[in-house]
Amino acid sequence: MAGFFNKIKGASTPSTTQTTKEVVAKKKDEIAPELTPLEKMLQNAGPLREDAADKFFGFENFGNTCYCNSIVQALFYSDLFRENVINYPSLSPSDTPNGSRPKVNVTLRPPMNPTPAAQPPTKKGISTKEAMKQRQTLNNGQPAPGQPAVKPEDKPDTPEYKKKQAMLKGPILELAQENGMAYGMDECTFTGLKDIFLAVLQSSTRTGVLSPQRFLEIFKRDNEMFRNSMHQDAHEFYGLVLNDVIANVEANARKIQERLEIKGSSDLTQSVQNALGSAMMNNLPTGYRTPGTGWVHDIFEGVLTSETKCLTCETASQRDETFLDLSIDLEEHSSVTSCLRKFSAEEMLCERNKFHCDHCGGLQEAEKRMKVKRLPKVLTLHLKRFKYTEDYSRLQKLFHRVVYPYHLRMFNTTEDAEDPDRMYELYAVVVHIGGNAYHGHYVSIIKTPDRGWVLFDDEMVEPVDKHFVRNFFGDKPGMATAYVLFYQETTFEKVREEQEREGMEEVKLATQAANVAQEDGVAKEETTPLKRQVTQPVVMPEHESLASLAHAATAPGLAHVPTSPIVEMPAVNEAPFASLPRTSTTRVETRSKDDLKKEKREREAAEKAAEKAAKQAEKEQEKLREKQLKEDEKKRREDHIKAMQARRNEQDELQKALEASKKSAAQEEAIRKKEDGEGFGFLSRSKRGSKSMSKRSFSFFKDKNGALPDGAMNGDAPEKDKKAGRISMGLGRKKSTSFLS
Amino acid sequence: MFVLPPPPRYPAGAYGIGLGGVVPLIETNNTLSNPSGPEYQFLVGEGTYVLKEDLHLATPPPHPSEAPVVNPNPLATDPKPATAGTKMSILSLETRPAPFFYKGPSATTLSLGGTTSIQEHPSERYSTEGGMSSEDGRAASSEVPTGSVTMGSAPAFGEGNSLLAPTVSKDINKKKKPKNNVTKSNSSFISRVIVNDNLTRKLTDRPSDGLFAFANINRAFQWLDMSSPTKQDYLTKILFTKAHCLCHDVNMVTKSVSHIDVIMGFSTGEIIWWEPISQRYTRLNKNGIINNTPVSEIRWIPGSENLFLAAHMDGLLVVYDKEKEDGHLNPEEEGLNASGSGSEGELSNGSANGNGIRINKSVHSKNQKTNPVAAWKLSNQRINAFAFSPDNRHLAVVSEDGTLRVIDYLKEELLDLYYAYYGGLSCVCWTPDGKYVLTGGQDDLISIWSMADSALVARCQGHRSWVSHLAFDPWRCDDRNYRFGSVGEDGRLCLWDFSVGMLHRPKTAVPARHRGSVSSRITAPHRTDTNTSVNSGGKGSSGLEDEWEENVIAHPVQPRAVIPMLPPVLTHVVDTHPACWLAFTEDAVITSCKSGHVRTWNRPGVQTATATQ
Repeated sequence: MAGFFNKIKGASTPSTTQTTKEVVAKKKDEIAPELTPLEKMLQNAGPLREDAADKFFGFENFGNTCYCNSIVQALFYSDLFRENVINYPSLSPSDTPNGSRPKVNVTLRPPMNPTPAAQPPTKKGISTKEAMKQRQTLNNGQPAPGQPAVKPEDKPDTPEYKKKQAMLKGPILELAQENGMAYGMDECTFTGLKDIFLAVLQSSTRTGVLSPQRFLEIFKRDNEMFRNSMHQDAHEFYGLVLNDVIANVEANARKIQERLEIKGSSDLTQSVQNALGSAMMNNLPTGYRTPGTGWVHDIFEGVLTSETKCLTCETASQRDETFLDLSIDLEEHSSVTSCLRKFSAEEMLCERNKFHCDHCGGLQEAEKRMKVKRLPKVLTLHLKRFKYTEDYSRLQKLFHRVVYPYHLRMFNTTEDAEDPDRMYELYAVVVHIGGNAYHGHYVSIIKTPDRGWVLFDDEMVEPVDKHFVRNFFGDKPGMATAYVLFYQETTFEKVREEQEREGMEEVKLATQAANVAQEDGVAKEETTPLKRQVTQPVVMPEHESLASLAHAATAPGLAHVPTSPIVEMPAVNEAPFASLPRTSTTRVETRSKDDLKKEKREREAAEKAAEKAAKQAEKEQEKLREKQLKEDEKKRREDHIKAMQARRNEQDELQKALEASKKSAAQEEAIRKKEDGEGFGFLSRSKRGSKSMSKRSFSFFKDKNGALPDGAMNGDAPEKDKKAGRISMGLGRKKSTSFLS
Repeated sequence: MFVLPPPPRYPAGAYGIGLGGVVPLIETNNTLSNPSGPEYQFLVGEGTYVLKEDLHLATPPPHPSEAPVVNPNPLATDPKPATAGTKMSILSLETRPAPFFYKGPSATTLSLGGTTSIQEHPSERYSTEGGMSSEDGRAASSEVPTGSVTMGSAPAFGEGNSLLAPTVSKDINKKKKPKNNVTKSNSSFISRVIVNDNLTRKLTDRPSDGLFAFANINRAFQWLDMSSPTKQDYLTKILFTKAHCLCHDVNMVTKSVSHIDVIMGFSTGEIIWWEPISQRYTRLNKNGIINNTPVSEIRWIPGSENLFLAAHMDGLLVVYDKEKEDGHLNPEEEGLNASGSGSEGELSNGSANGNGIRINKSVHSKNQKTNPVAAWKLSNQRINAFAFSPDNRHLAVVSEDGTLRVIDYLKEELLDLYYAYYGGLSCVCWTPDGKYVLTGGQDDLISIWSMADSALVARCQGHRSWVSHLAFDPWRCDDRNYRFGSVGEDGRLCLWDFSVGMLHRPKTAVPARHRGSVSSRITAPHRTDTNTSVNSGGKGSSGLEDEWEENVIAHPVQPRAVIPMLPPVLTHVVDTHPACWLAFTEDAVITSCKSGHVRTWNRPGVQTATATQ
């Protein structure tokens, strides 16, 4: 995570003088805190929206919880989902006497004290502060020679610095206490999520940091796979959160129904309807599955039809499955469109993978293809970048270049699908940064209704321009790749309108791109790292802060360029230049214009001097690099060993926990059966329906509370199988397992 | 319990090798190789195409003044300059017969252009993508007076404006050259120019029908002799300081043994007119005075010696005169300026109605002392490509917002506005007879639009990623069938045969209310009675609905179910990098990719051996 960024900084070792200067500059800033790009964007932002979609809160990272932060942010900015979470359960007069929304129990943590000693470590887990300290010590283990150890978060324009500043600035909304009863529900993943959403909605500020501690505690309580501080899969988390929310809402609906029947009153039918969702109320003439059981289904759930044709008797059979997301296999140099098409391509079921034909009885060869029968409102695409490879017996990350368009329509719909040409727009990208599945960092880039695209990196929130979204196809250095794509339903007209609106920004961006390419001088001021700032009619408070900002461009290397450009420049550049025929320079000498000649000579002289200096610098750097490399290597090995050990410990613990959970699951299962027996015929049916696909795909993940009865069976699956299973979740499972078998 | 992740390793080349992202630190030379094997050939109906050679253009190292330190932070938000993969402008100095003459009726079916008489000189009217072998270049340049070349019946661009009338030079063979010597330039824009030591000998020794090529790679621009066995030795290489050349074109009218007019558009918005034989150049739109956004596409106006059209990324199309000085164009005040200088009629045009084009400066403007000659604002969205129709009346322009605009550029009028299925459109070309326009884009599709019917007739599905370039193969086109090729980000070449007769309705076609492949211009009625309509009619956007009804210019997106889907006759991986350009010559198909591989695939029956040369 953050350690990752430390590394970045290690890579661009600045000259000593420069750093001290920066530190000084930064100290000044601390006295009068500069405006972050986000705050600048929000200056003169006008009245707040009702729906909280223009509030921007970073989420605190408790050590490897970026998977949660990135997904929850993406969920929050889905207008449909957010509104539904906030408005469910609908208020009944008895619950809220004054008719207002229940207040979330938010404590405002005092802003982080700049002096670390004064920080009382209150949390059980590791605090950001502690994590940072740990990282520092780790980082200090390998300081660049002759350089005073600079804390990563003390260097402006590093993500650490920005995150720390965000924590310093606050306000920090802490959600650490229990707050279940306010919604008439038991505390669960849903209420935790709702707390977060409401806390943002009810906050008096537009920006700040939110600490989703309680939510994570609840989630981890219910999902033991996540009950450790390891790096987790954001896509898994997404699936589990949605399934939890579905389960929670259903449980609540059942409770209300119960109460309703007891009371015999009809006031609550509305809330039941809300819970059950329109799909059911509209009585879709389908019957291909048990009816949708909630608004979560309405938003995220689609239906797939798998058509299987037995090659022996030519009988075609169809089976429908629901999905919350599509897991698609990737190909080098492909597009999301193409990967989706491949997902629906015909597939032969043969050899070990034969199909049991009911018609001719027995295992037969068959042809199978999957198509989308019902399109969801929010289409979540999981790019299967983690592939299990036998040789390494671990999940390798695929760095295929997969392009994703801003808009999308699905080609793989069935003939009877409703609105098969539905237009989707990309609204969130969850990016995985790192070299494999076990380490790395997640951030999300999200399109907000009024303020364009915004980058959410734990505590840090920063506006970015539209083209930034395209940096994660997989071909750029830095190992940052799109991992989960969220497309939401839109219409052609809306898209056109938006394109009209964003026109001026596009022009601005184009101008900027030109200026970047312009030679020196012309575009100095354009090098401010954030383009979108420029478009805002912002009156800068004072010029000094602007200067310091420009100086502190995001690129760490960039900042030093003015003072010591030569050091940064490998002299390798120069050598060939000298050896190659210098037609231009030689000709100049024959020219009559004296001033030109002089100029040219000056340039040449300067170049030569630069060459010399560069060569020297190059040598030094070479040494430095070697040293760095060695140290890195050593450190990596150590880390690896450490990680292995920790993993082993964790596995043991996991095993114990598994057994415990199996027991409790069995107990609860028994209770549940009793409950089910008590006659909510259709509700229990719908319950099963919701599981049919999405739950089964998680069958590798056991659930302590027994929400996944079939999952419990796999409780004692060996670790390795679980790993393998992890990639095969979601709908691509059948396909992905083929390479495992 | 808490485990710190090890610091991530930055890919030292294994992963994420940039498509032009990783720049070498030392200067290297072009290399020529002849790989062979089954993956270097492909079979189509007419026979097997075999890779003749792979010319790898060297990516130059960054300029010494530029900090080569790449920010390793993948989340860095600093803006990046525009760049483009390798594209080529191909030129043959010799005249060859046009491969495909289209017959008379084609001209009359082109209903958009009003009255069109049958062409008398089809070869003149015709221009291929690559632009070679199709027109009587030398004859045209020596016989026809400057600027007013009449291409068939289409009037020359700017005809009627006496200010644009060509200044008839005394000696037609002495063409005007650019002002500055490129090799002696002290411009900070140009970093270095390397001329081949044997340039003069090379130029005299080469076969007269050989192909010249101009190619961009990163910040370098190379002039190559494709007929030379040592084609990796460029004739001239220009290294620019920071700017990348994004597009370029060669004038087919003025080309001769002693004169070649090349124009280049840059990431800085600037334009360079270069005459490679005399090594002279002129900078236009210097420092972006006319427009300061990158130039994404640049083309000589067919038949014109001096005028060319450049597409800037802010959605502005500008006509420049290679010999005129830069003037100042102020879009907001242009209307006033124009009226002030006594040109009526511009104001009425100047106000852009939603779907029209805004004329920032008309070709009929009385102020023609300086550039631009004309400027049209299409939208605020980036223009990705444009193409002139073979009859030189129309212009097809595609943009990043997924629009295809067909413009009568002589009248400066927008005729039709179409939309991609989804995503931006990246390339466009016309059938050789001007009946159809083809576009490719981010929906992985190639769409075929009929100009006579103003409708989409087919979608072509075969690429696995975005389509980056399209070209017709005039040697395999005839009256009944069009052969065209496309390359995409998937590194694939697709070949397609398209004929109107072979188009099949999709099986799921919605009944008769969609009449054949022709969709009515007035689309509202049948849109409201089908729920297959993409615009999801019922959604209550009645305002837009009305707009559609009245606006015959804009055509809504057609549902997938009613448009025939065409499969390719061939799809073949031609490069391990995303491909970005292709052209057909008499002997071969040439493709290029983002990292500078130029591959020549010989047609069936053509000698593969390079040794013969």
